Amino acid sequence: MIGLLCCASLLFLLTSLFIGCFKLLILAPVEPHFTECMSRDLETFRCWWSPGTFHNLSSPEELRVFYLKRNSPSSEWKECPEYSHLNRECFFDANHTSIWIPYCLQLRGQNNITYFNEDDCFSVENIVRPDPPVSLNWTLLIVSPSGLSYDVMVSWEPPPSADVSTGWMRIEYEIQYRERNATTWEALETQPHTQQTIYGLQAGTEYEVHIRTKMKGFPKFGDFSDSIFVKVTEIPLRESAVLLTLVLTFGVAGILILIMLIVVSHQQRLMMILLPPVPAPKIKGIDSELLKKGKLEELDFILNGGGLGGLPTYISDYYQDEPWVEFIEVDEEDADCGEKEDQKSSDTQRLLGLPQRSVGCFSADSHPDDDSGRASCYDTDLSEQDTHLLAASLLPGQPEDEEAFLHPDEKAPASETNKSPLIQTESEGKPTWINTDLYAQVSNVMPSGGVVLSPGQQLRIQENTEKESQKKGTLGEDTSKLNKPQFQLLVVDPDGSGYTSEITARQISTPPSSLVPGEGYQTIYPQPMETKPAAPSEPNQSPYILPDSPQTRLFAPVADYTVVQELDTHQSLLLNLPTQQPPPPCLPQHPLKAPVAIGYVTPDLLGNLSS
Amino acid sequence: LKREIKKIISAVWVGIICLVFSSRLSTMKAASICPNDQTGCHLLPLANLFDRVIQHSARMHGISDDLHSEFELYFLPSKNQIGRVSRNCHTSTILTPNGKENAQRIAREELAEIILKLLVAWRDPLWHFHQSMSQHDEFTNFSSNKSLEMSDMVHELRKGVLKVVEKMQMLGIISNSVGDTGSPEALLTSDSAEWRFMKDYDLLYCFRRDSNKIQNYLKILKCRIVPKHGC
Repeated sequence: MIGLLCCASLLFLLTSLFIGCFKLLILAPVEPHFTECMSRDLETFRCWWSPGTFHNLSSPEELRVFYLKRNSPSSEWKECPEYSHLNRECFFDANHTSIWIPYCLQLRGQNNITYFNEDDCFSVENIVRPDPPVSLNWTLLIVSPSGLSYDVMVSWEPPPSADVSTGWMRIEYEIQYRERNATTWEALETQPHTQQTIYGLQAGTEYEVHIRTKMKGFPKFGDFSDSIFVKVTEIPLRESAVLLTLVLTFGVAGILILIMLIVVSHQQRLMMILLPPVPAPKIKGIDSELLKKGKLEELDFILNGGGLGGLPTYISDYYQDEPWVEFIEVDEEDADCGEKEDQKSSDTQRLLGLPQRSVGCFSADSHPDDDSGRASCYDTDLSEQDTHLLAASLLPGQPEDEEAFLHPDEKAPASETNKSPLIQTESEGKPTWINTDLYAQVSNVMPSGGVVLSPGQQLRIQENTEKESQKKGTLGEDTSKLNKPQFQLLVVDPDGSGYTSEITARQISTPPSSLVPGEGYQTIYPQPMETKPAAPSEPNQSPYILPDSPQTRLFAPVADYTVVQELDTHQSLLLNLPTQQPPPPCLPQHPLKAPVAIGYVTPDLLGNLSS
Repeated sequence: LKREIKKIISAVWVGIICLVFSSRLSTMKAASICPNDQTGCHLLPLANLFDRVIQHSARMHGISDDLHSEFELYFLPSKNQIGRVSRNCHTSTILTPNGKENAQRIAREELAEIILKLLVAWRDPLWHFHQSMSQHDEFTNFSSNKSLEMSDMVHELRKGVLKVVEKMQMLGIISNSVGDTGSPEALLTSDSAEWRFMKDYDLLYCFRRDSNKIQNYLKILKCRIVPKHGC
């Protein structure tokens, strides 16, 4: 019983508490408070209040507004300067308004009950809501060619209440527009000018436009202005006009395309007309006179490395690190050998036949493997290092007629006039020389480093052999023929087992008269080996074989490649034609200092040459 | 060879275009200063100076507003952007006109001086504010950059206003009494400690208010001195 009573009383208490709380929370009367304070022009402001739900307030006049300006510590509460009880509004005029100073407002009822909320404090600049602009009007800017859309310029005046002229207020405007029957407004970006363009309105539709303002740098917007209505009726364009414009545009486009095509197709011609080609530079060492005379072979010779401005330099650099690439040197005697026969007069012949040559024709290289065909007369004391030159070695792909090389002396020149290169089998495993030109085109490079030559201009050699043989003995005397460079083919065996055997360059004694300082290149006349001992005294002539070929025949055997015979004092490369001299038998070999590669001179060789 | 030619042609084109533009620019420059109106011509550069300075102050106020709003996220947002009434800014000691009429009534020299005083007073507090902001991790880089920008702008604006004052003195519009009151030591001796005790949020609120003051004063000053040029 007591427990029940206790429980009942507890329950009652709890429910009453709940109800009381409920009442307090939900049904509690709202005290008088301020609804809003607003300023329109940053000079005055007004505040509105509401009495709340207190019932003991008989009349609105009972509530009084007091404000406090917190600009000094000793400020006190003052009453509202101007009441408007009808609106429950308190108006602060310019004399009572101070900007940038916090105001606090409170309501006081009877018996000095104050209703004060901290949130009712503010600074006037923060409660500014400017008036909307006035005198809105619009003008048509432009209609699209199709007549379907148009642009409109809307202009207005700033609100009269806002003092924009003195700069006291800086106002921004926001335009909003919508179609007559739409529900949502489209807003444009806020901007400070008193006009703005609305783009892309559709013809035939009526639009509603209104504007509102706010202070720059503050967030609160004012009210919207009255709406204006914008409408543009559709203007049906004449179809002919549309068609005409279409035709014109397409026609112009087509013409442009045609022009472009023409330009593109005749690009080359136009380029020639507009930008004529710059004349090619003169190649150093080439005499234009030669060109006029039509000495194409000589040109080939020069271009392929006869002069210093030729190609060889880069090739020598390129092959500098390639130990397998060696320069093939053609001996003077080889030239002599070649003089007899057409094939032998060519550099390729010598190139090919070097390891196979008989005593008289080629100087053996340092490879002991290439002993075959080497006569005892030939020195084998030539250092291998000297003889190994880095260059693209021209390896004949076709073996040469061994017999022809082995016994050049024995064969009559006439018998050697082979019209076609004799191909020797490579049974010996040695590179053989075919009866091709001294210069042949490299058709392939073997992995082992050898180079496969394609037959050169054998025909040319054939032509010139007869003449060469005739002029054999006149080389040393004919100084006029110094103009033409003579060269010899130097074939280098890459590794001894390659296709070509190294041919040590023969020291060639060049007659002093053969040197023509004025030329970019010098011709070295091939001479009999007897004069060789004298040659070494001249440093720039010692290691080279001078083919003894007539000047006119200098370029005959040279097809595409030339051999740098040596360097002269002017650091120009002397190219030797394959000589037609008969190989002198058992001529003392001059120790080869630095064999010159075919058309290329490596830096170390250069040093050797010049030294 | 073709490539070289093309390079040359492109270089020539570039040169021609540059010449055209430079000639245009030079003609534009020559035409902009002092059109027909000769009497008011000497005031045009001053109006330009004023415009620039006013733009600068507007931007400064914008940044302070942004930062203040960001700070409000950490506090309960107040209805009218005033959370506390106990706020007292360190620049309260500087007497400033509180209304439009007051601002229009006081002497131009005084107004210029007030502007300069305000700018000087905020130099150090903003710098320290930026320092403290960069140390707190909860503030984003964005806010930190803004605080730095604000600090720099006060600097720049002060220089700009000094230039305007100089120009005005040169033109004889105001007397030479407006000196460089920017000796911060003089100002800070009185309230050197005050701003240090202000919290960041209060500091931002105060600066926002003061930047608005500066903006308004500059505008009023401009429209008093050069009223014809865009007021």
